[in-house]
Order: sequence, then structure tokens, then C-alpha cells
Amino acid sequence: MSDLELSMTTEQTNRNNSFSSEWLWRAVLPIALVALLLGFAAVDRSVLSPANLLNIAQQTSYLALFAMAQTVVILTRGFDLALGPAVSMVSVGTALAMAGATAAGHDPSTVLLAGLGAGFGLGIACGLFNGVVIALLGVSPFVATLGSYNIAIGVATTLSAGRPVQGVPKLFSQLFYSGSIFGIPAAIVITLAIGLVLHLMLGRTVFGRSLYIIGTNPRAATVAGLPVKRILIGTYVLCSTLAALGAIMMTARTGSGEPNLGGSLSLQAIAGAVVGGTSLAGGRGGVGTAVLGALFVTILSNGMNLTRIDGYIQMVVLGAIVIIGVLLDRLRLERRR
Amino acid sequence: MDVVTDLKPAEPLLALRGISKRFTGVRALDRVDLDVHAGELHVLFGENGAGKSTLINVVSGTFPPDEGTFQFGGEDIRHLTPQRARAIGISPVFQEFSLVPSLTVEENLFLGREITRGGVLHAREMRKRATALIDELGFDLDPSQRVDDLSRAHQQMAEIAKALLGRVRLLILDEPTASLTERETGRLFELIARLKSQNIGLIYVSHRMREIRALADRVTVLRDGRHIRTLDAATSTDSELVELMTGRKIDLLFPTITHKPDKVMVDVENLTLADGSVGDVNFHARAGEITGVAGLVGCGKSELIRAIYGIEPIVSGTVRIDGLPYEFPAPRRSLKHGIAYFPANRIAEGLALSRPIRENASMTVLDLPAFARFGVLRQAVERTAIQGVMEQLQLRPPNIERTAGALSGGNRQKVMLGRALTRELTVFLFDEPSVGIDVGAKLEVYEFMKRLVEAGAAVIVVSSELPEVLALSNRLYVMHHGQIAAELTGAEKTEQNVLASFFREHLVTEVA
Repeated sequence: MSDLELSMTTEQTNRNNSFSSEWLWRAVLPIALVALLLGFAAVDRSVLSPANLLNIAQQTSYLALFAMAQTVVILTRGFDLALGPAVSMVSVGTALAMAGATAAGHDPSTVLLAGLGAGFGLGIACGLFNGVVIALLGVSPFVATLGSYNIAIGVATTLSAGRPVQGVPKLFSQLFYSGSIFGIPAAIVITLAIGLVLHLMLGRTVFGRSLYIIGTNPRAATVAGLPVKRILIGTYVLCSTLAALGAIMMTARTGSGEPNLGGSLSLQAIAGAVVGGTSLAGGRGGVGTAVLGALFVTILSNGMNLTRIDGYIQMVVLGAIVIIGVLLDRLRLERRR
Repeated sequence: MDVVTDLKPAEPLLALRGISKRFTGVRALDRVDLDVHAGELHVLFGENGAGKSTLINVVSGTFPPDEGTFQFGGEDIRHLTPQRARAIGISPVFQEFSLVPSLTVEENLFLGREITRGGVLHAREMRKRATALIDELGFDLDPSQRVDDLSRAHQQMAEIAKALLGRVRLLILDEPTASLTERETGRLFELIARLKSQNIGLIYVSHRMREIRALADRVTVLRDGRHIRTLDAATSTDSELVELMTGRKIDLLFPTITHKPDKVMVDVENLTLADGSVGDVNFHARAGEITGVAGLVGCGKSELIRAIYGIEPIVSGTVRIDGLPYEFPAPRRSLKHGIAYFPANRIAEGLALSRPIRENASMTVLDLPAFARFGVLRQAVERTAIQGVMEQLQLRPPNIERTAGALSGGNRQKVMLGRALTRELTVFLFDEPSVGIDVGAKLEVYEFMKRLVEAGAAVIVVSSELPEVLALSNRLYVMHHGQIAAELTGAEKTEQNVLASFFREHLVTEVA
């Protein structure tokens, strides 16, 4: 680092004061988003068509939800590798519960409640497991969630016997997918509402404030008497609950419980959060960064689909983006010093 | 002695003229002049933020000055890098250590300048030279130990040894005694005397008046990045120096505190800690007086109050607060019981540096209904309360939305003190309250303690600075090897008695 500093002349270092560079950092992503859209549009006009833009918005709403879930734990210096498998598990569990309740002859609203109960129940259980292992047993988030990653895959596959679970009622799909308010699809409405609530929670509640303080200096948070362990458990529960909601929305879209629904979602969600500017070092980020990052990742994959870039190459790009995002974050931290 | 004849040669070893340096709009140095002669110890004196660190960084090549001339050994120096600085004999020892924790002392000493034979490390030769150097310095340091296994004091020794390996003409020491015990400090002083007699020039940054008295030939006072005056150490007085440094008149270094000992607020019986740092200690502190705890680095005095607050595990013994047993202490419950702890290491344990001052000051009150209702923060209340508290503590500048990391050491301590004023507290545990802060801020901290005690609080001050605990406390415990070696009050409370109680303890252990 010192070599880097030395190679810059004094004049340059002085002019690059923190105010303008901070402003520049904030502008980089929106500019990149527009550039990306225009770039893809140059190859294929249909990228900018109203239908595709709505499609992008709808796709983003799922990823944004997952990126928000990741952001909450990343704020405390953690992350949740098990988010993707948890989504699969919730999807299968929700569908199974609804299929079972329908078969038992219950009325539609009871069926719906059974599905939501099972889905959120599984989500909360997963978050509780992660939180307890990390906060109380002191296992690192990487190891803990890598473990629950495999557990969740196992549960999802066992419950569904590896096959899609049919029998998702119409009411469920209407509520979480095909319905709309003022012509805005349900997924977008739900994500906007959750984003708003989460934003207020992060900025205006003791819980939200504690996340930033714990992420910035966990030791100081403990010494200052914050209930760090309790908050960490709550954080992982919140993360998995948001993931469960996303899983329910995606299940409503596909119309069946899918044991592979989560696929690469863990990484995509981390990519979304990190690209948006959430710092893996903890204490920096929010709903805004999650949404921006999710938008970026979605536009990128949407554009790559429309311009017919090979699916495996897309995985390469996604992996590279996570790494670049982390490097940019570090560069920013170093500049602040 | 040939030192005297060399003290005033025609040409100074280091000559800086009109050095200026700006950082993002702040003028850290403003046309500063500095001369250091060979064989001279030149003290840089000033409050935090006065420009001392910037100046020694310029001298050691960390960054170039914006303007001004730099002469070393009669030659103009331009485009200095840390590597070149070392090559021409400028060797700095910074407060932040440059040692690699996972390497041994000798590997660190030779880092980047390893002795090799045909491309293979010549371990035996390096070991020999490292041992010779450490012996010559008189340090009690094992060259084959890993740095992360060393105490902070030993790391400091390793750092100094590293700086002295090779040809050194100008040695820069930045508060080198901050983590040394009295005995180690004594060794360092002997070493400095030897270096001076070898015609090495020294720049010495320190807040401590006693060290300046013992070591300095000349003192340069900096304030707000400007050169205020350079004085002969022999003819200047303490109050003159402090006055020049702070720009205001300071009559007494310590305030007169009226102690009115009342009921016992903290009562510790047969306390033993899990890590063995405190063994079978009996201790009490009363409301209305300052109870001091003195002792060498590592004697268990910090651990004692940390255990009371609940951040060091207790294996046996009882703690009573205001007469009631307090079992399984934990920070959150301690605060509810009215106990506050002010850590020695404010960066590691006190502050979330990238968060605003406001959030740092209100961190300990988020459980109170006044600051949060049903988990929702009352931001307007918070802002007004913290603004008021920080104004009362004279935070400069008074903007509570700045990040805590942007503050000087003294202001960071004020943010910590701010926490004390935001909730009802009766017991205040101060762990090395004046470490890393300048004289002006120290005074404000002492005044703060005075107000607390005179309002009837129980204040416990743990400090390695003997003059500080002696002057502040009404009753003073001396700790040694995890045990109370003496309890001194009134006229017994003297530096000699404190030192004697270390000594007595030594005799006892040697006889046993």
C-alpha cells in the first residue's frame, strides 16, 4: 500500500479529497448500469423494449430480496452460503404442505396458511440453526453455513424425492405471482414494500443500528453492552425469513415445489450485495446497495441471455463479479485511510 | 567526554526549512523548521494533531513534503522513500509496529535485508548478529521467539532493535515508553545515553514531562502544525512548555479533588480470574472518592476492573455492588447496575471508528426507553442529548455527525466520556484514562473525574502512570503479580512507598 501511495505525487493525493471520491464511488454503479443496458441494446434492440424492461424489473425483485437478506448478515461481518438451498427447501416444503392440505379437503385459505406456515417455519428454523451455531457456538459463518448448505439440500431432496412437487393452488400463485396492484406485478410490489420496511428498520431501530455497530467493531459492541449474540441470531433468522419469502414468490411463479430452485442463488445474492457496495468487512451497506447490486446482476444476465452468451460463460462472469466487487470494496477502504 | 565538543558542530545533522504538508485541505505542517545535531536528543512536543507525527513521517520518507528544503548530513535530500531513508541512516521507530506477527524476532530484524549465502538464508550468521545486537542493547529478548508470542513491551524492544540494526545516524522514537515498564524504560534511557555518545542524533516524541527532563537537549514545541519555539531543555520549565504547547496557561497539572468517602459501592472478596491474572484479591471502592490502582504492566490491575465490569471470566470470589451480590457480571447488566467501564484501548474496545460520534456516544443507552421505544430509535432525542453532552465536554469541532475515526486521541476519549453522561451511573471504572491523549485533554479528563466524584460517584482509576494515580486517588492499591501488594492512604501515598511495595514483593518471592 505504501508503494501505491508513494507513486502518486503529493498534488494528486491532495486533490483527491474524500468528498469528491466518495461521491464518485456512489455514481459508478448507476453509470455502469446505464452503460450495460446501452451496450446490450447496441447488440440487440429488444433489450430496451418495454416488455423486457418490465421483465428485468420483475426478475430483479426476486434477486433484490435475496440480496437484502444477504446484506443484513454481511453487515455483521457474516454471510449465508445456505441461502440458495434454503430457498429450495422452503419451496418444496411449502408445496408439500399445500398439496397435503388440499388432499385432506381443507378450504383454500387454510391450504394457503398451511403452505405459508410450512415455508416460513422452515425458513425460520434454518436461520435459527445458523444463528445459534454462529453466535452461541462461535463457528465461523463460512463453516456454519457451508454445513447448513448441505443439510438444506439433503432435506429438500429427501422431502421431494428429487422431483418437482405438484399441487400448488391457484390462489397461491395469484397472490404471489400473477396478481398485480395498479398494473404492477405482485413480486415487484412485495419487494418494494419489504425494501421500505427493511430500510426503516436498518436506519431507525435499535436492531438496525446494532447491526452496523457490531459489523464495524464487534468487540466494542460487546463492551458497550449490546446483546451481540441475541442480535446475531436475530440477523440470521431475518435473513432466512426473507429468503423464505423469496422462495414462496418463486414457487408461485413456477407453480410447483422445486428441489433445485435455489441453485446458484447463494452466490448471486452475495454478488448482488457486494457489487452494490455492501462491504464484506462489515458495517457498510443497506437496502439501496442491495437493490442496485441486484439490478446490476439481473441486467447483466438478462443481457447475456438476449445476446445469446453461453450459460456456462455467464457463471464465469458472475464469479468474476463477486471478486471484482470485493476488490473494489477494499480499494475504497484503503483510500479512506 | 567527546560528546560535548560534538554537540554544536557548524553543520546540523538534519536541517529542515519551511516544511509544509497538506492533507485533504488540512494543513498538517505549516512552514516548520527543525535542526537536529549529531549526538543531540531533540524532543518534539505538542498536543495530538500538532503535526509531530506528520513531521517524523516526512523525515523518515513515508511521504514527501509539499514545500520546504530537507538537508541531511549537509546534502539536499529529494524524493525520499522509507528504503532510501534507512540507507542513508535515518531509522524510525513508530508507535504502530512494523513487525510481522507470525515471524520470529530475528526474522523480523533481517526482514528485507536477510543475510544469504548463494541464495540460501544464512541463519547462523543472522542469529549471531541478532543476539549480539540484543545483548548490546541490554534487552531481555529471545531472538527465536515469535513476535505474536511477545508482550507489547517486548515487541517495542524488538522494534527498537530492528531500527538499530545497520548503520544509524538519526534515530526517531515515537513515544517509545508508552508500553514499557519502569525497568525497561530505565534500560531504554541508558541505551539512549550510549547512542548519544556515539554521535547519533535522536528525535524523540513524547508527552511525558519526566522523560523530557531526563533526556532532552532541546525541545521543539509544535502547535496546530506550526513551529512555536525551540528551547534549551535545561533552561525551560514544565509550565512554560505546557503553556507553549496548549497556547493557554495551566497552573496545575492535576485538579484539587475534594474526596468525601461514603458507603462502599464496590466490594470484591477473594476474587480469582480464569486466566490467573488476578488471584485472591480483596478490594473495595467507596462513593465520593477516587480509588487508585497502580502497578506495572501486566500486574493484573486492568483485569481486576474488567472482571468487575464482566469482560474477564471469574472463577471464584464475590463481587458486591452497593451491598448486593453481583453474580456473573456482563457489560449489559453492569450498565443497568450503574457501572461503566472506559477501556484503555479505545480503538479495539471502545469505538466503532467508521460510525458517527453520535452513534458511538449513544451505544450504551440503546436499552433505555428515553432513547428507544419498542425498539424504534428516538432520533431527535438522541441528537439533542448527544449534542448537549458533547458540547459540555467541549468536543472540537462540535460536529457529532463526523466519524469517530476522524478524531484525535483526546476527542475519542471525550466520546467515551460522553457515554457516562447519558445514563444514570454510580460506579466509573477507568482503565489507563490518559493513554494516547495530550496534556490539554488529560486535564479535561481529570476535571471530569473530579466532577463525578464530587457529585458522589465511586471512581476507580487504574493507571501505569504513577504520578497520575498518586495525584488523583484518595486511596491507592498497589498490585503486583496479580495480588494486592499494598494499600496506601494519606501521607503514605508516595512514589517511594509504591515502588517499595514492588520491591518488598520481589524480596518475598525470592526468599520463598
